[in-house]
Amino acid sequence: MTEQSEWLRQQIDQLANQQEKFTDRAFWLALKQVVAEQDRRSEQLGGEVDGRTWRPDRW
Amino acid sequence: MTTLVLVSHPQLADSTSQQFLKESLPSQNVIWEHIEGQAKLDVAQEQAQLRQVDRIILQFPLYWYAAPAGLKAWEDTVLTRTFVYGDHRYPLAGKELGIVVTTGMPEPAFQRGGAEGLTLDAALAPLAALAQRAKLTWLPIFPIYQFSYLEEPEKLQLVVDYQRYLTQPQPDSLANRQAWFAQRLVDKVQQLPAEQQATGQLIASVFDQNREHLDQLTDTLAMIKEQEDD
Repeated sequence: MTEQSEWLRQQIDQLANQQEKFTDRAFWLALKQVVAEQDRRSEQLGGEVDGRTWRPDRW
Repeated sequence: MTTLVLVSHPQLADSTSQQFLKESLPSQNVIWEHIEGQAKLDVAQEQAQLRQVDRIILQFPLYWYAAPAGLKAWEDTVLTRTFVYGDHRYPLAGKELGIVVTTGMPEPAFQRGGAEGLTLDAALAPLAALAQRAKLTWLPIFPIYQFSYLEEPEKLQLVVDYQRYLTQPQPDSLANRQAWFAQRLVDKVQQLPAEQQATGQLIASVFDQNREHLDQLTDTLAMIKEQEDD
């Protein structure tokens, strides 16, 4: 996890905790899950781009 | 997109799970109806409502591997042959049918060899057949196992998972999830108290950046794959 995403998750947690309505808290916490998924997917796709570009047989 | 939630429960007021789901309903584009709460089913009105919506959700507790009797009565009364497929008109064709089902037993019970020995998909096969007959698109069911045992984090998650099941385009891919949240983020940020607005905006902008970055990566990857195919 990058520093930025860790920071972002803390921000979301804080904001969620400040919400009085249960459903509002739920929204922000669920958004945090999606952000975590964005991070994971971005890392995987980045890795795949690197892997596919690294083709010594085409040098 | 408009969603119709048809709830079948003989004692709705006593059901904590149904009350929870009612509290969790999205604020827009959802029509909620309690089947047993109506003195008499107005067939014309029920059918008109079905015609009007894009997604139909049948929501009920599982009683003896099926929906409560109220839902069956609704089906038998409202879904007349002429309405569903008579004259080959299929007024429900292309709409989506989703099932929100609550169970008293845990998830592992609903499999062969499990305590119930039956999957929920198998138990609800008649409803799936109905969907097929009406040319409705069957959505993967949304089961809620043992609601009363859920802890707070699970309940929080359930609120949004349920809202998304009602209103998010299928399939439940990351792209569709992101679009669903993006659509609501602007309003959610605006609803925040003044002192929380800046944080909300910051979160929304990072979320958007992440989304764009993912789109770019996906495009790049598609380009690389295309070249590899050449």
